[in-house]
Amino acid sequence: MRLELRAITKRFGSLAANNDVSLVVEPGQIHCLLGENGAGKSTLMNVLYGMITPDSGQILINDQVVTIRDPKDAVAQGIGMVHQHFMLIPVFSVADNIILGSEPLKPWPFIDHRSATERIVALADEYNFDIDPSATIENLPIGQQQRVEILKALSHNAEILILDEPTAVLTPQEADALMVVMRSLKDQGKSIIFITHKLKEVLEIADVITVMRLGEVVGTTTPEESDEAALATMMVGRDVSLVVDKPPAQVGEVVLDVKNLFVQDDRGLTAVKGVSFEVRAGEILAFAGVQGNGQTELVEALTGMRAVMAGTMELNGKNLVGSSVRDVLDAGVGHVPEDRQRHGLVLSLSIADNLVLDQLGSPEYKAWWGRKLKAIEENGKARIAEYDIRAQDESEPLSALSGGNQQKVVMARELSRELKVLICAQPTRGLDVGSIEFMHRQIVAIRDEGVAVVIVSSELDEVVALGDRVAVLFDGMIQDIVAPTTSREDLGLLMAGSRPALNSEPRS
Amino acid sequence: MSTTAPLNVPEIVTLENLRRISRQRALGYGITLMIIGVLEVLWFGGANSSLETTLELGYNSATVMPSIAAGLRVVALLVGLVLLAPVASGRVRALVASRLRFTTGLRGLLAIVGGYLVVWPLALWGGVNHSGALRTMTIPVWTTGYVLGALSIAAGALLAWRRFDRSASPLLLTGMMLFILGFLVWVARGSNVSGLQLQITGILAAAVSAATFLIFGSLSGTLCERSGVVNIAIEGQFMTGAISSVMIVSAMNGSGISKLLGVLVAGLLGALLGWVLAIMSLRYQANQIIVGIVIVAFCTAVTQFLMFQVLDTHENLNGAYALPVWAIPFLSHVPIVGPVLFDQNVLVYVAILGVIIANVALFRTRWGLRVRSVGEKPIASETVGVSVLQMRYSAVILGGFIAGVGGAAFTIGPGTNFTFGMTSGYGYIALAIMIFGRWRPYGALMASLLFGFTIALSANLNIYLSQLVIPQQFISMLPYFITIAAVAGLVGRIRPPAADGVPFSRE
Repeated sequence: MRLELRAITKRFGSLAANNDVSLVVEPGQIHCLLGENGAGKSTLMNVLYGMITPDSGQILINDQVVTIRDPKDAVAQGIGMVHQHFMLIPVFSVADNIILGSEPLKPWPFIDHRSATERIVALADEYNFDIDPSATIENLPIGQQQRVEILKALSHNAEILILDEPTAVLTPQEADALMVVMRSLKDQGKSIIFITHKLKEVLEIADVITVMRLGEVVGTTTPEESDEAALATMMVGRDVSLVVDKPPAQVGEVVLDVKNLFVQDDRGLTAVKGVSFEVRAGEILAFAGVQGNGQTELVEALTGMRAVMAGTMELNGKNLVGSSVRDVLDAGVGHVPEDRQRHGLVLSLSIADNLVLDQLGSPEYKAWWGRKLKAIEENGKARIAEYDIRAQDESEPLSALSGGNQQKVVMARELSRELKVLICAQPTRGLDVGSIEFMHRQIVAIRDEGVAVVIVSSELDEVVALGDRVAVLFDGMIQDIVAPTTSREDLGLLMAGSRPALNSEPRS
Repeated sequence: MSTTAPLNVPEIVTLENLRRISRQRALGYGITLMIIGVLEVLWFGGANSSLETTLELGYNSATVMPSIAAGLRVVALLVGLVLLAPVASGRVRALVASRLRFTTGLRGLLAIVGGYLVVWPLALWGGVNHSGALRTMTIPVWTTGYVLGALSIAAGALLAWRRFDRSASPLLLTGMMLFILGFLVWVARGSNVSGLQLQITGILAAAVSAATFLIFGSLSGTLCERSGVVNIAIEGQFMTGAISSVMIVSAMNGSGISKLLGVLVAGLLGALLGWVLAIMSLRYQANQIIVGIVIVAFCTAVTQFLMFQVLDTHENLNGAYALPVWAIPFLSHVPIVGPVLFDQNVLVYVAILGVIIANVALFRTRWGLRVRSVGEKPIASETVGVSVLQMRYSAVILGGFIAGVGGAAFTIGPGTNFTFGMTSGYGYIALAIMIFGRWRPYGALMASLLFGFTIALSANLNIYLSQLVIPQQFISMLPYFITIAAVAGLVGRIRPPAADGVPFSRE
């Protein structure tokens, strides 16, 4: 199926999310759509999938103009989409998720579960997927859930598949498996639009690469004609350094000492199972691991947000177990939370207020009558200048900022206190290349000031680039603590729970 | 790690051993059952051995179990045993043709029919009186205590020993029900002499009757919340249904067609209120709870106006007309079960049928799958072309209809006239029952019956407890107390629909 997007324009207020975007996808082609966050890739795909109505422009399928008003139209036209956040219902079975919206009926209105199951099994066999139609989605690993999503699109007879950042949630091994699946789909004549910001993957699998920036197509190229640096420059519009400039660590005393930590998750299951590690002043300990292996609970326990079942946490010899979040912050722990919009910031408050959110009790900003508005305002102005936060002024509500600038606000606030330890969970999630570069430089700078830094990230690139040592979490336990120079294959194996034969660093 | 101090390693909880932990719960339940058994032996078994209690098994001649000749009794007994055999033994099931699948429903049916055929002749041999028909039964109090206690201890010991995690809760619940039965027998001791017979059938029938509007209400809540909308307006739909059905039936002097019309109008007005809730919370995305409360306030005001401005002066519009009572042939003669379940007004059957239909609709049909999907993750439904708003509208309007019919169960169901405030918060209790029933129609049915039982119990205990110092009002608090206990404690780790109460917008 040949797909053509012609001069698509979509505005949100004064902002042009897509401006005169044109794109052609040939049958059996893997077409990579590359761009920073906010470049308009998702808007374009939502237009194609009928979730957003464009202001102007045309969609052509096999050279015929079609109108796509809602996802139903898109599905009818043979367009399937695998969203970054899976559109699966966690408590439903695989079969129910796949048939939802196009249920086979034995006499109306009853669902014909048997023929549905048979069809799914046949389809899974055709593409060599190993899937149990009766399994419940929430019990499946992420990689399997993604296959269910792909299967769902295929069951709607999709001829063109949109994969929206499919590798963001996968281990390196799962990502490799996905590449195999993509190639076999291509061999069957399906077209794929592959959205990502990971340059390595693009070069590995793409037939054609289209790069977007600020809502416009800035160029179309192929892997043969391009390389990582060139693509990054196209994406950002200037030269970016892809490697983190990092002098060797000047390691000092042990600052954070965690022994045999056990933590429960929300369901009451043990999520962190006996984790022990030390972090010294002036070093970065980076935690790698597939999401859902205890990272969230570990960070929440370290910052006092979650109760500790057993074990000890000491900061410069001072016990942290049982401390409130306030006590932990006062002890000198900085926290860049995983979900900045839920835990790090108050979106409806101004930038200036957010910049002092955890310091409102300090005499600098607090007086007997309330807040010292003047001091808060001045602090806001200073930080905005210092961290190059793109905003009109400090009184603007935080919700008006882009993700990257919101993260800068969190970082600016945490670094404005006297820190002994900085804990960053997913510090660059959802950020573009330029912002990532900025965050990384900040983290290395604070390390060189002698602060002990803990990074938790599901991006292996980031872990390897930043970490002085890399701890791999699997199933709530530290599989091993290794040097960042360890090969990606070995790290991938560790993340998947097996132990390759390698020389692990002594645990300090 | 160089620590020399002993490490404190807590038990690691995983999905696999959550099951083991529920087996530990089975141990706790077993011990509780044994304690209940000991209590029964010491308390009820300790009654004076000469005291007896007369149970009333049927409250009128229509509900009396007919007697049969001694020879036929043996036939009934044998047929009953044959029917019970496949329920009890897997070896027997293997003998039956393999085409017949022993589903839970079939087993239940066999157990009920077979059990009846066994109990009937046994009961006739054991305690025939009143001219050969089984109407009352007189049993010694202390023997009852010993039998119930021994059963409870045995069941508890078995549970504690074998740790059946799936049957733990039902067993404990049965044990508690039997304890209440034993307590009633003990409370009514001496009734063979005093004539204050234990109205066991009467209490249970009143329980089902009281449960009727709760079944409608909790079913309405279940449908709405499964689609992701909290229907807190059930109370208002109750009131509207209650007053409108009475006015229509009275205006038409209680003719047969007027009763059908009364129920229908009650339902349609409930559906109209549901539609208002849907418009406000779906199209205009207002807060569902607040819209619901406002609807209840509005309905309160309207019924107050109708009650004190219209019905006060036109008393003929507020008559006591009852829906017909249908006694199902044969089934209504089963002792206890018959009068309780098969000799009720039409709305009771409608409620039970409604539960069955709702269950099939929710879990077997396309509509049900889509409703549940928009209640769990509406954005996922939208991407496969299911209209979230359409599904929610249909569920909320249908739920409103059901709650409106439930309103009719306050007035023309049992045949009382409308009094202001007669719904007394049962619309909210219905939501608690829905939670207790785990957002499932059958759960809602069972939970409603349990709550109905506490309502009937609190009404009937007064007769026997008048010699005690407990004020009647305290006993009337029982249903509400159990509501709080059930919602707070018993429900445990159940999950509501994920998108329950969350408004949906596409962008």
